[in-house]
Amino acid sequence: MKINDAQGIQNILICGIGGQGVVLAGKIIGIAAFESGLDVKKSEVHGMSQRGGSVSTHIRFGEEIFSPLIPEHAASTILSFDIYETLRYVKNFANNKTIVISSDYGMMPLWTSKNENDKIENGSITTENITNALRTEFEYLHLLNNKKIAADLGNIKVSNIVSIGLLSNYTDIKREIWLEVVKQNVPKKTVDLNLKAFLIGRNEGNK
Amino acid sequence: MTINNSSKALLTGNEAIALGAYDAGVCVATGYPGTPSSEILPFLAKLSDATVNWSINEKTALEIAVGASIGYKRSMFTTKHVGLNVASDPLMTLAITGVKSGLVIITADDPNMHSSQNEQDNRFYAKFAKIPLLEPSDSEECLKLTSMAFDISEKFDTPVIIRITTRISHSGSIVAIPNISDEYRRRCCTPRSYKKDIKKFVMVPIYARKRHKTAIERLERLREYSNNSGINKIEYNGKEFGIITSGISYQYAKEAAPSASFLKLSFSYPVPDLLIKKFVENVKNVVVIEELEPFIQEEISSLGLNLSGKEYFKRHGELTPDLVENGLIKAGFLSTDNNYNTLKISDNVNSDVSVNKNVEVNHGDLNCLHKMLPPRLPALCSGCPHTAIFYALKKLRVPVMGDIGCYTLGALPPLSAMDSCISMGLAFGAAQGLSMTNSSVKKITGIMGDSTFFHSGITSLIDAKYNNACFTAIILNNSTTAMTGGQDHPGTGKNLSPDQTVSNKIDIRKVVESIGIDEIYTVDTYDYNETYKILKKALDSEKLNVVITNRPCVLYPKKLDIGKKFKILNGCNGCSLCMQIGCPSILPSNLIGTDKNMPFIDSSCVGCSICMDICIFNFIEEIK
Repeated sequence: MKINDAQGIQNILICGIGGQGVVLAGKIIGIAAFESGLDVKKSEVHGMSQRGGSVSTHIRFGEEIFSPLIPEHAASTILSFDIYETLRYVKNFANNKTIVISSDYGMMPLWTSKNENDKIENGSITTENITNALRTEFEYLHLLNNKKIAADLGNIKVSNIVSIGLLSNYTDIKREIWLEVVKQNVPKKTVDLNLKAFLIGRNEGNK
Repeated sequence: MTINNSSKALLTGNEAIALGAYDAGVCVATGYPGTPSSEILPFLAKLSDATVNWSINEKTALEIAVGASIGYKRSMFTTKHVGLNVASDPLMTLAITGVKSGLVIITADDPNMHSSQNEQDNRFYAKFAKIPLLEPSDSEECLKLTSMAFDISEKFDTPVIIRITTRISHSGSIVAIPNISDEYRRRCCTPRSYKKDIKKFVMVPIYARKRHKTAIERLERLREYSNNSGINKIEYNGKEFGIITSGISYQYAKEAAPSASFLKLSFSYPVPDLLIKKFVENVKNVVVIEELEPFIQEEISSLGLNLSGKEYFKRHGELTPDLVENGLIKAGFLSTDNNYNTLKISDNVNSDVSVNKNVEVNHGDLNCLHKMLPPRLPALCSGCPHTAIFYALKKLRVPVMGDIGCYTLGALPPLSAMDSCISMGLAFGAAQGLSMTNSSVKKITGIMGDSTFFHSGITSLIDAKYNNACFTAIILNNSTTAMTGGQDHPGTGKNLSPDQTVSNKIDIRKVVESIGIDEIYTVDTYDYNETYKILKKALDSEKLNVVITNRPCVLYPKKLDIGKKFKILNGCNGCSLCMQIGCPSILPSNLIGTDKNMPFIDSSCVGCSICMDICIFNFIEEIK
């Protein structure tokens, strides 16, 4: 089950809120591609935007990669840890064939003035409406409550790994490489928990 | 760093620069943290036995590197673009003295101002100072060019600038790990006896005049090197279309137009005149693609060749693969049909409906929902020790001259309590200046963080005392350089060296006392009422006084949790006053989908208790 773009390049865009672990998720996916012997480029955001702002990491891999940034509408996969950020990034980066893997919940960003916030109350950017709109637009869509899955495992900190597990189904990267990279890049004490979370996520994709 | 069996690694540009410096045998590396340059020195400190230190500011950092070079040790100075302004005083004269051992300056520019107050193009410093400029376009080149830069520095007796940008610093790509011999490192680190050389390093007029002439002559030799060294490369792919480019723009252009011919400038000042002429003779249509200013374009124009560039590629912000592609379409290099837009999500007719008008919109439509989506701005953290100060300043309605750090976020709504952010250390100088204008009936305040105070606030505070200024200087002492990722500074008493006992801790209060300021307040900002009272008292006083906060950052050096949780009690009338502190843990009722018109404190609360102090109806209490 893999869908690449025309040039055989996989373009994975990860998005979420600063502090959610977008950079670490990008690191794990980037290293997994690298360990598979592919050319890899990734681009991440540091500094000001990490204080709760909207953040994204771009990862591209294939035979030869030039730009570390994914061109518009060329994402093969969008991995999102907040459904509002999914809405933000699909607009510019997705096409109809993009695989969208998103948390089914999110934290609503607020306008900075009361006036504009009233627009939200009258309008309808609810998770339900976003979900419906995503369903209409994307054939390959996974909305999951990765936080709940992680909580059931005993630690919400592994929720990103659940989503990465799901994403792993859509790459050419071998299962063993994924497991090894997860193992090497999480705190030692939580290796077993993270591996379990990864595999649960991976199975979600096969449902 | 991950290194697989073939000794390759996936490194960011910053990591690769550190590795390149290590490969070149750097012995002293200094800098002041600044996005996007901040990760170079910590990575080098982990790799290497070199002395790697954060300095108090960029000027001092470069001066330390100069001293190390005079003492025959290879040295490196790292900075963000605006930091080079601070270090420009030693730079401009170092440019004519030259060096003893190699001295390399890394300047990390920030096109699009991801985390900066301007987007100046530091390539002009190379021209201004008449020194060589290198521009890597990926991590592999970061490593190689950094390593070579030390040789170039010694060969031509000049400091060398390596100019990177955010997309180079924070992008990762694969590099080949060099073999670094222990023997070589040992040789680099063996001390050589100091030799006095006043004609080279004492820039009084009689010697400086000669050195300036030498620097001008050096430019010609550098130009020859730029032509012949092989660092600048021509890739011929047909004679119709050619692109002259540098840095990250090269990657975008290769992506958009792989079949064009390229002249890639990695040694971009002085420009290789002969190579450029040859390229333009051999290729029919040539454009220049570069981020920010038309630096290369103007250099080429001074050779008498008029090429287009900025006509198609914007002069502000970052370039992207799409902007480069669109520019190349406009320039006639590409036709529109090889555009990614063929894959675009169908634009629904509804997307034209403005949400401001009360027209019925299709709520299931992605474009419609996207239009209503507010931007997600960065904010002070839950439990941030700066919050109470800004809320109190807002209540006190005083002019606040601000500065650069996390606390710049205090300027954004709902706190909206900072009136300027221009340069590091501006606050106390600007507060003094503003106080002279008598434009405000209220006392003026200046506010900056601890790291900024050491960086360049001490001098302006001394000036304020010297000139008998009257304002309230607030120092937000959270014991770290938070915005850039929690680096140490003189107030923490630690540094990057593995043996951290070598650093001494400088006490901010004692520094302020030694200036002769006797009205100094220390406040615990987790007690809002006390914070307000002290600020009011300081502002009512007709003297220059200083308020120092003492709560540590909640993120660095490690995540803090006070261990308390707070909740909003039933009966709350929904006045939303608690939301005016901008705490990300307090959410409005419409977000959680309850019928009750009252805010909600979620589990991310770290227990600072400021909201409890602020609720005048006492509807917030600790969960026991």
